[in-house]
Amino acid sequence: MTKTIRREIVIPQPREQVWRAITDRATLAEWMFPNDFEPRVGHCFSFHVPPNPKVGFDGLVVSCEVLECEPPTRLAFSWSAPGPVVDTRVSFRLEPDGDGTRLFFEHSGFDVSQPWGQQALRGAEFGWAKMLEQLSAIVVGLAADQK
Amino acid sequence: MVVTPDRRPDVFGAISHPARRRMLDLLVEADRSVNTIAGHFQMSRPAVSQHLRVLLEAGLVTEQRRGRERCYHLVPERLGPVREWIAHYERFWDDRLLRLQQQLAKRSKE
Repeated sequence: MTKTIRREIVIPQPREQVWRAITDRATLAEWMFPNDFEPRVGHCFSFHVPPNPKVGFDGLVVSCEVLECEPPTRLAFSWSAPGPVVDTRVSFRLEPDGDGTRLFFEHSGFDVSQPWGQQALRGAEFGWAKMLEQLSAIVVGLAADQK
Repeated sequence: MVVTPDRRPDVFGAISHPARRRMLDLLVEADRSVNTIAGHFQMSRPAVSQHLRVLLEAGLVTEQRRGRERCYHLVPERLGPVREWIAHYERFWDDRLLRLQQQLAKRSKE
C-alpha cells in the first residue's frame, strides 16, 4: 500500500506564468531549492537542500528525473531522497480557472504499508532516524526563515 | 512546533540500527526468547541483549520471563511515529506551494 499527498490550489496568475514558475530553473530555486532542472523528459536533476547549522541539519540532495513535461499542463518527476523515500513521484497539473490557474499537486509512492518491513527499513541506507531529523530540520528551518 | 527535543530513547533511534530492525522483523512473526533471537545473529549474546534493551527502552518490545528465559513481544503500535514522516512531507509541500504562490504574486506586481 502506498500513500499519496494531494493538494489543490487556485492561483490568480495565468497558466503560462505558473508553468514558468515550476519549470524555470532560477524561479524553481526560489520556491524550492537550487537545482539543475531542464524541462525535458528523461533529464536527471537534483535539488540541493542547503544545510542549516542552527538546527543541526547537514543538508541533503534529492535526486529526480523528469517523467512528464507537457507545457503548460503537466509536469512530473521522480523524487528520491536519502532514506526510505525512493522513487516517489511528484506531479503538477495545471488547469485554467477563470483568469487564474488551478494547480493539482501530487506526491505519490510513499510505502507505508509495512513500516517495519524489509523494503521500508532495510533498504534505507541512512535509516529512519536520519530521514526524520532531516525533514524536521527543513521544516524548522523554513519556519525560522519566515520570521 | 515540529521538533520536540525528546531525550527519551526514541523509536527512530531504536530502529536506526539494522540489527534491531532485523530483530523487529523476527518478532513480527512470533514472540521469541533471547536465545532464539541470538541464534539469528553472529554477534555475542551480550551484544544481542544490549540491542534488545534499546528496543525495550523505546517501548517497541515488551519483555516477559518464562521460566529461565526472557521472551520478547513486539508492540507494533509504537511504530506509529514512523508513519508520521508523511505528515512532515505534507507540511513541507504546503510550505513550498505557499512559497510558489508568493513568488508568483511578487512577479506579477513587478
